Amino acid sequence: MARYQQGDFTAATALVHHISPALHRFFLAKSMSRADADDLLQETWLRIHKVRHTYRPGEPALPWFYAIARHIRVDHYRKSIRIAAKERELDEISKEVSTPPHQSGELEALLAPLSESQREVLAMLKVEGMSLEEVARATSSTVGSVKQKVHRAYKKLRETIGAAGSRKWRSGELG
Amino acid sequence: MKDEEIDDFLKKAAQAPGNVDPLVLERVCDSIKPSLRPVRPLPPVWQLAAGLVLACAAVSLAGAARAGFFGVAKMTLLERSLVFPALGFLACLAAVSFVHQMIPASRIRVSPGALLAFSSIALLAVFADLFRDYHTDHFFSAGIVCLVTGLLHAIPAGLLSWLILRRGFAVNPAAAGLVAGTLAGLAGVGLLELHCPNFQAAHVLIWHIAVIPVSAALGALLGWQLRFRARSKDL
Repeated sequence: MARYQQGDFTAATALVHHISPALHRFFLAKSMSRADADDLLQETWLRIHKVRHTYRPGEPALPWFYAIARHIRVDHYRKSIRIAAKERELDEISKEVSTPPHQSGELEALLAPLSESQREVLAMLKVEGMSLEEVARATSSTVGSVKQKVHRAYKKLRETIGAAGSRKWRSGELG
Repeated sequence: MKDEEIDDFLKKAAQAPGNVDPLVLERVCDSIKPSLRPVRPLPPVWQLAAGLVLACAAVSLAGAARAGFFGVAKMTLLERSLVFPALGFLACLAAVSFVHQMIPASRIRVSPGALLAFSSIALLAVFADLFRDYHTDHFFSAGIVCLVTGLLHAIPAGLLSWLILRRGFAVNPAAAGLVAGTLAGLAGVGLLELHCPNFQAAHVLIWHIAVIPVSAALGALLGWQLRFRARSKDL
């Protein structure tokens, strides 16, 4: 990252190839189509490039990337809502025009009962393997708040999966 | 259902391949290549925070120098030694918090709402303990003047703060605006304590301290509007 800040194109390329799969997965986990995820990935890198001076050498880099990706994703989500509302105002087109295509992955199915913020925190913590501190940094919140979200998410998952019968999950539908 | 089992499910689910189209990566590299120049990282947090505190102190002092140091002249030594250190401490806290808001993935120890609440309540406690004149002369007329004066000085403090942190990037502009407004509001209260000789408890507790939440609300609104406009441009 420091070499990228110094203008080293090789370092920039290596960083793009190393970080992009995780960011892409981050976008895909949010019920997005592959095309949307590709677009957001490009937009995220443009933003990262624009604000690369805000990364402070010595600090963990992963939360910094995720913080910017999260910002782009939130903007995209709000923009898509506004576009959908405008389209509805214009010609009252049916819902399928405005509804983004959803990816029906196992992860999404598993996390479906959770709120958006709980899903995000759990995905970063358990799927991407980030620490509590890193997740707190990436989501601009405190470690306590992250712990609370994870606790509530687990409680909800235990209730939901327990109610539905864990056999379905154990039977290997996930893998 | 145990937590370990949920962890296993999550790990299995996460094993989905995270392949990205090589063409997309190539496009990303091509798009950043032309503008790839060395950049200067932001200065350390303490330097930026010190700059913010000095800017706010300068605005308060300049305002009081223009309007008169009547308030501080009327204060006792005890009042001076409690009011201004409290304001200074809260300004430092708000400045550090504002710097963290403008650097992505900074460690957030105090949320913007908690900072606003703590600043207001801490000053309420200090003022309530020191100012015990419970008369209320010209409550509204004198109060509105102080509120407006405080807010008018919060504006340059906010602008100077933005100038100092213009190279930063707020991932949540509304939260950053709220913290910036809190800091600017503290500068406004600083000016009022230096200038206003009205030490009636109701006046100080309501109208002086009101500068902080009003300024914070305006800051949050401005931040939200800036993000809204940025999105509108994209549409």
